[in-house]
Amino acid sequence: MAKEKMKGKATEDSNLKGTLASVFLLGFFLIFTWVSVYYLFLERL
Amino acid sequence: MNEMVKVDRRDAKLALAHIYVAFIALALGGLAGLLQTLVRSGKFELPANISYYTILTTHGVLLGLVLTTFFIIGFQFAAVSRTAGTFSDRVRFWGWVGFWLMTVGTAITAFFILIGQASVLYTFYAPLQAHPGFYLGLTLVVVGSWVSGFAIFAHYARWKKEHPKQVSPLLTFMAVANMILWLVCSLGVAATVLIQLLPWSLGLVDRINVLVSRTLFWYFGHPLVYFWLLPAYMVWYAIVPKIIGGKIFSDSLARLSFILFLFFSIPVGFHHQLMEPGIDPFWKYVQVVLTFMVAIPSLMTAFAMFATFELYGRSKGATGLFGWLRKLPWGDARFFAPFVGMAFFIPAGAGGLVNASHQLDQVVHNTIWITGHFHLTLATTVVLTFFGAAYWLVPHLSGRVMTKAMNRLAIIQTIVWVIGMTFMSGSMHFAGLLGAPRRSAFSTYGNSPQALEWIPYQIAQAVGGTILFIGIILVLIIITNLAFFAPKGETEFPVAEVAEGAERTPLAMENWKLWIGITVALILIAYTIPFIDMIQNAPPGSKGYKLW
Ligand code: HEM
Ligand SMILES: [Cu+2]
Repeated sequence: MAKEKMKGKATEDSNLKGTLASVFLLGFFLIFTWVSVYYLFLERL
Repeated sequence: MNEMVKVDRRDAKLALAHIYVAFIALALGGLAGLLQTLVRSGKFELPANISYYTILTTHGVLLGLVLTTFFIIGFQFAAVSRTAGTFSDRVRFWGWVGFWLMTVGTAITAFFILIGQASVLYTFYAPLQAHPGFYLGLTLVVVGSWVSGFAIFAHYARWKKEHPKQVSPLLTFMAVANMILWLVCSLGVAATVLIQLLPWSLGLVDRINVLVSRTLFWYFGHPLVYFWLLPAYMVWYAIVPKIIGGKIFSDSLARLSFILFLFFSIPVGFHHQLMEPGIDPFWKYVQVVLTFMVAIPSLMTAFAMFATFELYGRSKGATGLFGWLRKLPWGDARFFAPFVGMAFFIPAGAGGLVNASHQLDQVVHNTIWITGHFHLTLATTVVLTFFGAAYWLVPHLSGRVMTKAMNRLAIIQTIVWVIGMTFMSGSMHFAGLLGAPRRSAFSTYGNSPQALEWIPYQIAQAVGGTILFIGIILVLIIITNLAFFAPKGETEFPVAEVAEGAERTPLAMENWKLWIGITVALILIAYTIPFIDMIQNAPPGSKGYKLW
């Protein structure tokens, strides 16, 4: 949709927003898994 | 410039020989895996008094040790020959010597496992004691791999001499880094086998220091998993970008991550021994900290992969936050299989962080969760990437081409693997959290309510295992076709180029003396004091046990 910037090649080429979002999602998933098992650990203490 | 660079026919033969052994191991090991899941469901018993542990040892050794080592060395021979030029006759000769040492060693080890004299599992933990032939065979496998490693080093040294002041080809650099890692870590397993296990199984000594042998095993065992993983990273960093039509995001970043793996994958073996008494908690803590350092190159890799895909997708006009995903070549098995492998590394890595945390390890240690974990890392991430690589490597080496039909079958194979593994590994993870042990045949433990809870998961494991076995049959069909029956022709060995805007790679990246020096220093810091402690304060040692 947002095609207005197509001409500004330098900025368009180095658009890595999706990568940033993906890495964040990955980080959240890692933390979520870790915390889940940590709660299991606490529950069984 | 555009003509296809081919691996020399003679080098191709050497690489193919390794790959054949790897896939034979997959066939036999996969069958053992199927039997294990069936036994563990409680609905099936092994015929003719065959022991569960004979099968499990076969599975672990053939798939964890043989399939991996053979595929990796074959793949690396091909990658080095392709990127640093055809081998000299001498290098190739030593490559064959390495191959035959490993093959004869494998045959000897397999023989003693199959006659039931070595049901000690692939970790061969003392005080379980195997027939000396088992250890002897393994020694030949390791020595053979060293010979092949030195053949690769020699070829690399010649390249450097002929190209002064030039940065070596990325794939060759990576193969050299991986073989250095392997050499440094396998010294540990060689030490425990030659100094401890072999004399003890021959009856030359009566007793063994169990803690020392386990420590030497894990000094080897953790880097072993990186020895498996780094060739998959070679495919992701240096080959997949070419397959999708993109570029390598950063050559320096790829090399740096390999150097970091060399540093941080060895001095961390204690994270497999967190529940082991006799090791000072302080040193366990030090090694856990070093373990978490491995998260850095792993996340660097994740970042580089996302970036490669996004840059490519956007260059094809993708818009929105995730629109680039749709531009990827989903119909190409050479991309699809490794990509699925990458995706599975996300839950695999999350599980790894749990395993490496001391308290959380108390929840999952020695449960089938662990088995679920490495069927994601090794048996999905690594193996699917190897399958994906084989889909162009085997026809490249055999002078054939993959047909559309085979490509379609390979896509189906990948999907079958995903379904089977989701069932099997998923239920292994959940059953493990409920306390189900790994490495045990079916038992209700006297109808204990806790053990009865595991049964539905064990049945799901058998369903998953059966689907996975179908996946193994499919990949064997594809590989046999590509090696012997596919139409003759030329297949590309894809090697990606670096993106235009990327920084130039500094020559200092190849300062191996420094990298090895740092590696050795980290090992000495992490291991010297606890190791002295284990020897000075050793209990009398254990006799050998043969529980069969
Ligand atoms: C048909 C596919 C497969 C099935 C059904 C399967 C099934 C299993 C099961 C049920 C176990 C654990 C048994 C227990 O702890 O009692 C196991 C262990 C293991 N599997 Fe697999 N597996 C398959 C493929 C693979 C592959 C492709 C690899 C590696 C490349 C692999 C490597 C291992 C290793 C190293 C062990 C550990 C053995 C041990 O604990 O001593 N498996 N497998
Ligand atoms: Cu480890």
